[in-house]
Amino acid sequence: MKKQILIIPLAVFLLIISAFFYLLIIDRNPSEIPSNLMNKNVPNFKAKLLLKNKDFLSSKEFGNEKVLVNFFASWCKPCRDEHIFIKRFSKEKGIRIVGINYKDKFSNTTKWLSDLGNPYSDIPLDKNGRIAIDWGVYGIPETFIVNSKGIIKYRHVGPITKKVYKKISLLIEEIE
Amino acid sequence: MKIKAFIILFICLTQFFSTSSIGVEPDEVLKNKKQELRARDISKNIRCMVCQNQSIDESNSPLAKDLRILIRNKIKEGNKDEEIYKFLTYRYGDFILLKPPFKFSTYALWLLPFIFLMIGIFVIYSHNKKSKKI
Amino acid sequence: MLLWILVLNIFNYFLFKLYNKKNYIFVSKVLETQAFICAGFILFTLITSNPFERIYPPQSNGLGFNPILQDPALAIHPPLLYIGYVGFSAVFSISVAALALGNNEKIPWFNYMKSFVLAAWTFLSIGIALGAVWAYYELGWGGWWFWDPVENASFMPWLLGTALLHSLIIVEKRKSLQAWVLLLSILAFLLSMVGTFLVRSGILTSVHTFALDPSRGIYILAFIAILGAYSLILFGAKSKKFFDHNYFSFFSKEGSILINNILMVVVCGTVFLGTIYPLIIEALTDNKISVGEPYYNSTAVPIMIPAILIMGVGPALAWKKDDKLRILKKIFPTILLTTIMTICVFFIYQSFSVIGIAGITLAFWIISNNILIFIKKNKNYSKGMIIAHLGIGLLILGITGSSVWQEEKITKMKIGNETKIEKYNIIFEKINEITGPNYVALQGNFLIYDNNKKIVTELKPENRFYPIKNTFTTEASIHTNIFRDLYIVLGEGNLNDGWIVKIYYNPLVIWIWIGSAIIFIGGLVSMNLNLRKLKFL
Repeated sequence: MKKQILIIPLAVFLLIISAFFYLLIIDRNPSEIPSNLMNKNVPNFKAKLLLKNKDFLSSKEFGNEKVLVNFFASWCKPCRDEHIFIKRFSKEKGIRIVGINYKDKFSNTTKWLSDLGNPYSDIPLDKNGRIAIDWGVYGIPETFIVNSKGIIKYRHVGPITKKVYKKISLLIEEIE
Repeated sequence: MKIKAFIILFICLTQFFSTSSIGVEPDEVLKNKKQELRARDISKNIRCMVCQNQSIDESNSPLAKDLRILIRNKIKEGNKDEEIYKFLTYRYGDFILLKPPFKFSTYALWLLPFIFLMIGIFVIYSHNKKSKKI
Repeated sequence: MLLWILVLNIFNYFLFKLYNKKNYIFVSKVLETQAFICAGFILFTLITSNPFERIYPPQSNGLGFNPILQDPALAIHPPLLYIGYVGFSAVFSISVAALALGNNEKIPWFNYMKSFVLAAWTFLSIGIALGAVWAYYELGWGGWWFWDPVENASFMPWLLGTALLHSLIIVEKRKSLQAWVLLLSILAFLLSMVGTFLVRSGILTSVHTFALDPSRGIYILAFIAILGAYSLILFGAKSKKFFDHNYFSFFSKEGSILINNILMVVVCGTVFLGTIYPLIIEALTDNKISVGEPYYNSTAVPIMIPAILIMGVGPALAWKKDDKLRILKKIFPTILLTTIMTICVFFIYQSFSVIGIAGITLAFWIISNNILIFIKKNKNYSKGMIIAHLGIGLLILGITGSSVWQEEKITKMKIGNETKIEKYNIIFEKINEITGPNYVALQGNFLIYDNNKKIVTELKPENRFYPIKNTFTTEASIHTNIFRDLYIVLGEGNLNDGWIVKIYYNPLVIWIWIGSAIIFIGGLVSMNLNLRKLKFL
């Protein structure tokens, strides 16, 4: 009995070390929080559009085809850095991209898009940030993949890099 | 990954130590003192997602401010504390709570301290019992 | 890292001083273990974070030191902490040597261990306190402890160190609990290594982590795994020789020390659980949860309360078994004193809260017990202990006051406006632009008057901008006296709309710092007495 007790500290120790080891070797970002909306329906929202004179209704616009949703703003530098990849998603993967414009000014956004290019099919305006909160966004830019049934399948926090582009490209192909 | 973490840290540091290390601002404060107290208590339990080391009550990141105002609006609309927490955790997950919830995945977290205590007392007790016999 | 290695070698010097004809095998074994640890750290430094590597291309101007770190309290905080952490390596090595050699020659390893535990614990205490001081004065949120993983990483070895200090007394006096002390020593060191791991591995983010590199993490983890596996297997195999069958009565000095040990270990276990639980959950599920201050306030803090209660009575108890009536007679005067002092405080602060009452009662319980011992000048009590325990009482007083009765006011003020907090009137006099050595700042001048219209002080909080590093910082302005701190932070604003101003009324904060300083002095006194004793060994 006593010998068994003496092994407990060792056993607990090894378990904890293994858990730490596992966390170190997998590909993870310690400060990234997984989206709680994974495999859930797209949040319900209505918004004005930047370039069209009608409202954007999420219930109508999602659930028809695969969509990439990109939260961006003209004042956000990483958004500028990743924009070339957003354009590539549209060109190379042919996927529809909805760009939700976060807390921005009309004139700034239109200028930003005319300078850098506009890959978005629609640009709903999130003037007060409530839509972002409904999507669980905490650090723009953020990019979501929504499947053809309107279910959120993937989220990436932060700018799209070359590595992330490859990963998301593959996911776009896999997801229906 | 390294760059991203660095960017977030940099944003945090500039937010954390920026001009207003204030948190709640006077124009957010509700007129009803009871409601304001509720808002403060809830905010103190919500982690700032941007800086992750402060509550939204203390943080001056824009998201913290938005969430503080959202909480106050929901209180004014008559929502209970539980409903407000549910609203936030539906969107941001349990991570946003500074006080971990009591659910299946956290039973161990909440119960183990008292189990440790029981084990400790038991160990001394059984050691004493054995020693008394000798 | 270089600091770790330096301190380790300084400790080796002191370990070597223990050397004499009788114990040379033992001391050699201790130094051998230390050498292994040292080699591990040197290898780590060389491979992963070599400070001597050249930067290419060479930089003409440095980036400048992060402004929030430009503070004397913060400069000295890491070295002191490191003396603490590394001190536990010496304790670990002594434990390993005792286990490995089986102590056939009856070496008084526990006497050697006590000196090093004292040193480690004393410096860890002041190191932690200085971190809290810095947070309070520099960071501007009126708080000084956030249960951040790295803060916890320093608190856990401290808890085990406290347990060790107390149980070593039993080992010395009754040669009992030896196996337990050996295990504690190993765990204390492993925990301080885990602290190093958490800061440098990139496994979690925290304001304290600055090196985000998994390769360092893997190395440190492997090193901890080797040290831990070796020492725990050694313990499993060889500790039987150190077992004993002594009986501990609850109403005795041993009993109270045992209770202290159990509680310290349980609190440590709880803090450890809270710190790593998010990581474990992340490893097992896809979820992330967070464990913040409310958790620790509900679990660790209540468990500490019985420990503090016993702290008042414990030193007065006799060894082996004490008479219950005699104990009651002994503590009656202190119970009386405590009640009186508690009631006084409530007259001053006029606020009734259960936690407040509990905290103040506990604080005065400790303070009155120790003052009484001091007055009686009983030679049986260790001076260091009295001082350190008194320090803890004062610390609890400060912690209770500043947590329970803190008042806060956030308001917008234009120049000339006046506001009130508690019994003070605060007038926003003017705004200045000032320049410092490496910064420019906007400084607000606030005049503080008490309710007799007499001026108390002028507070000048600043918002600084450091051009080279392109960062902003806020400097709170604080007025301190033994009853309370007045703490002002300046927010955003302009001349037209006014400025956002946050004012804190923090009662009894200074007692946190005074208490910590006294704990440190108590530790130093004990170290001094212990060293003098050792010369006669």
